[in-house]
Amino acid sequence: MAKRKGLTLTDVLITVVIALVFSFVYSIWGGVYTALEPLGLHLNQLLYGMWFIAAVVAYLVIRKPGVALIAEFAAASGETIVMLQFDVMLIVYGLIQGLACEIVFAIVKYKSTSLMVAVIAGISAALATFPLDWYYGYLGQLATWNLLLMFGFRVLSGALIAGWLAHLLYRALKETGVLKLVGNGHAAEEGL
Amino acid sequence: MPEAVKRYSTFADRVNPLVKIFVAVGLFLTVILIHDPNHLFHLAIIMFILLFILSGVKYIYIALLTGAILFFGFISSLYMIFYGEGTTTIFRLGIIHVTEESAVRGLHIMMRGITLSFFGALIVFTTRITDVFYSLMQQGRLKPKYAYSFMAAVRMVPIIAGEYMALRRARKVRRALIHRKYISGLRGFISTLVTLLSQSIRRAWRLGVAMESKGFDDGPRTYYHRTTYSIHDLHFVLLILLGVILSAFLGEWFSPFDTVDAR
Repeated sequence: MAKRKGLTLTDVLITVVIALVFSFVYSIWGGVYTALEPLGLHLNQLLYGMWFIAAVVAYLVIRKPGVALIAEFAAASGETIVMLQFDVMLIVYGLIQGLACEIVFAIVKYKSTSLMVAVIAGISAALATFPLDWYYGYLGQLATWNLLLMFGFRVLSGALIAGWLAHLLYRALKETGVLKLVGNGHAAEEGL
Repeated sequence: MPEAVKRYSTFADRVNPLVKIFVAVGLFLTVILIHDPNHLFHLAIIMFILLFILSGVKYIYIALLTGAILFFGFISSLYMIFYGEGTTTIFRLGIIHVTEESAVRGLHIMMRGITLSFFGALIVFTTRITDVFYSLMQQGRLKPKYAYSFMAAVRMVPIIAGEYMALRRARKVRRALIHRKYISGLRGFISTLVTLLSQSIRRAWRLGVAMESKGFDDGPRTYYHRTTYSIHDLHFVLLILLGVILSAFLGEWFSPFDTVDAR
């Protein structure tokens, strides 16, 4: 394949397919997430990081501008496709979280695949939708300890799931050798 | 949406998908700005009526869906009902503290969710997924490479699902031979995902190369499936706008909640 700088159709297709695989996970995850909700103790927030893992994994695999945003959009709309359930909120949230990841990746110029970058992207995506949640869920009127619990769980989850777990998946994927196909072929130069 | 669940088709089926998405985003912003639970109460009912009439879906599906939407909407508002701040105590048990204010606020959050869910369901029942992407390309000026990769990827969803089932069956047959740690827990989760991801990436790459060589990459191009704006779009926008305004008046006329501000 010719080396091209921008996103090719193949790049976009691979990004979207990665996101769709994750939207299957989301569909199952959604059940667990809801099951933890009734307590109201925000235990479900511990799982929150899963909602934007697709962006981080897609970036680590392809490392091109725009990938994280496309992946998040695809994963959010993928839930519509898999579950036949359209939720505007989901897509708006997906885009914001994708954008937050994208900014982090732009800062490292789409080069680094270190664990640290993944963790920071995870945390920033976790924080990105907080203002919107504040208005939507009237979080200002929540008991302070409960709010802090929610905040802490969410950041922790962003770091652990979207950061650490995403990086673990990336390393495992790298071992399969499938990444030789992807992007500008830089993986091949890394001796895979 | 599969035709099997439909009983009849309405003008909502012919509204441009892009318009529907814009209306959906507009509704989302509107719902965030509504703080009067009475207003929202009527808006949720109006959205349900629209879903009921315009979707043209068999009653049984609407009933099942409504049940699910109400149930999940209620569960997702419990955090506010249990732990929200307020002065008039209704119920207290350990750390749970239900007050009149927090209960109203919780129900308000629930109604926000169900209003959006009803409208979302209407869109899903009246829109074909491929039309969304054709519309994005033709009216939204989206580059074909994005739209076609989405459409191609949508076709892969059943393949991914099939692969997952095959993987499960393969593991079931070999259960005695594989150590448990590779099937359950985090290890199992990762091995499943890596299998699905690597296969999907390979398949996407093959398809991507084929599509690029066939010129799906860049425009300008002509379309066999055409989507356009029509008078139905205007009707649809006006209908939703009317619903929002009407619900405000209805909220003053019949108020199930004592307060006009959930905050």
